[in-house]
Amino acid sequence: MTGEVTSSRAGTVHGRGQDHRHRWLLGILAALLVVAVLIATGMGAVHVPVLAMMRSMTGSGSLSADQRIILFNIRLPRVLAALLVGSALSVSGLLFQGLFRNPLADPYIIGSSGGAVCGASIGVFLLPPLSIAGFSTTALLAFAGALGSITLVYWLARVDGRTPVVTLLLAGFAVSTMLSYSSYFLEVLDRDFGTGMRVLASWLHGTIAQPTWPQLSIVTVMFAVGLAGSVPLARKLNTLALGEEYATHLGLSVQQIRIAVIVIGSILTAAAVALGGLISFTGLIIPHMLRIVVGPDHVRLLPATALAGALFLLVADTVARTAIAPAELPVGVLTAFIGGPFFLYLLRKSKHEVMS
Amino acid sequence: MTPLVEFQCVSFAYENRNVIRDLDAAIFAHECIALVGPNGAGKTTLLRLASGTLTPARGKVMLKSRALDGLKQREIARSVAFVPQNVEVPFSFTVGQFVEQGRTPFLKMFGGLCGADYEAVRRAMELTDTWSLRGRVFNQLSGGERQRVKIALGLAQEPRLLLLDEPMQHLDIGRQFEMIDLIDTLRGEGIAIVASMHDLALIEGTFSSVWLMSPDAPMQQGPPARMLRPEIIEDAFRCLPRHRPRLLEHARGRMERAL
Repeated sequence: MTGEVTSSRAGTVHGRGQDHRHRWLLGILAALLVVAVLIATGMGAVHVPVLAMMRSMTGSGSLSADQRIILFNIRLPRVLAALLVGSALSVSGLLFQGLFRNPLADPYIIGSSGGAVCGASIGVFLLPPLSIAGFSTTALLAFAGALGSITLVYWLARVDGRTPVVTLLLAGFAVSTMLSYSSYFLEVLDRDFGTGMRVLASWLHGTIAQPTWPQLSIVTVMFAVGLAGSVPLARKLNTLALGEEYATHLGLSVQQIRIAVIVIGSILTAAAVALGGLISFTGLIIPHMLRIVVGPDHVRLLPATALAGALFLLVADTVARTAIAPAELPVGVLTAFIGGPFFLYLLRKSKHEVMS
Repeated sequence: MTPLVEFQCVSFAYENRNVIRDLDAAIFAHECIALVGPNGAGKTTLLRLASGTLTPARGKVMLKSRALDGLKQREIARSVAFVPQNVEVPFSFTVGQFVEQGRTPFLKMFGGLCGADYEAVRRAMELTDTWSLRGRVFNQLSGGERQRVKIALGLAQEPRLLLLDEPMQHLDIGRQFEMIDLIDTLRGEGIAIVASMHDLALIEGTFSSVWLMSPDAPMQQGPPARMLRPEIIEDAFRCLPRHRPRLLEHARGRMERAL
């Protein structure tokens, strides 16, 4: 980010206009996010008025006890979960797209979400609930699953140092299908039918379940680590876009970057999956939209993607839980409806690349 | 005078196919070397060895009397810039953003470009006459523009030595002469150049020496006037007399007239 500051001072290559526009965009996204959070927190079966909510935050307390419980035990955790999931998915999508040098990479499409679900299922069905250093085995296994599957897909999809669309999609499809059915298989092995099944079903549909505060704090830590790790990688992904050999010549240690992106992308995927399961296409749409607005520079894309991803999924989840009330739509259904056609459009647009 | 880059008895093989065998050669400052030879003779391999992206199987490559394999690639890239034949960029980076990547070897772990970096980028783009292209998308440039922008990226590294892999490839005749002019300009800036060349007609007048590589013979070097003689070229390129390239016929005719 320091680059932007000095570039606007020196004003040589990009000029002031672009930096200015970029700051405006971040400001607008942040403002929209605040508004969306306030509205989403108020919406639901029991209406909590925004003004009363804000007054209670400042301590003048005009909310009823019921409203207070709904706000702190139901609404806020859910809103926070949607923000974290959306942001984590979008940032990991951005990282994977940079690594694969392919705008069609997305944690869902390339199987890392599937790996996280499968890993988490092992935790739910086969292991007793334990925690290691505050992290539940489920979260850790989700991370391990994401890490394993992305490594496998990366290895399968690469042809001569490139990742063509065809091999990426085929390898991602095969790996994520195997992993989804492995999760079903684990479900069959489970002897006490009940909670595990329901948890798995909500994961596979992509529902942001009602999280508890301890769950949320674990995921928040994972998200923070992932986001902080992405910051130094952003500029390196710009260089990596030139190709591995060229990037190596310029002094980039490609192997280290590769490992860092896979690990950090997996942490973010696991964070998202732990709360929301298989939510498709979010990691694809958000970076792509922003690329149209701010261009392909990952240093600019990273903060914008983190904000826009959170905003997008919060809106989608709020629609999903209120549109057909009292029933609830899995937000994964909604993102698939929006993201699916968008993905096909991108695929169609890049078909010359598919042919190669 | 110590050479900029020196090959000391360097050999390199790709999976048992020997490409370079016991090469001894030196690149001095202010030199402008045309790398000539048939396909598969190892021209690109030699450029990669000089840029540190390949390590010799035997022998040593020295950069200003220090062994390349003991240096970090970042350090090498501050003295030697390699401009590859083909660059594919998956996203729509602008020319400005593309050339900025040349500053990568100077950046700190977390830092971005600073004033001096932007100055180097600007200078590189002005030298290559690409400053006016800085807002354009790299992928949408024409072949000639793309070639100049790639060289601008190399110049942004502020190198002592510029390695050009087939800079004339896919260029029409007008753009080829522009490229020759650019190489002349860069020589004037005191940058040593090694370029692999297929079009022998463009070498004389611009390049100070020719390195002729052929698959099974040791590399020969000398000034263009001596190296670009038909019998030497014919032998290196294995041209049968009936398949002799037209250029050589011209050269031979010229020599016969002169005699």
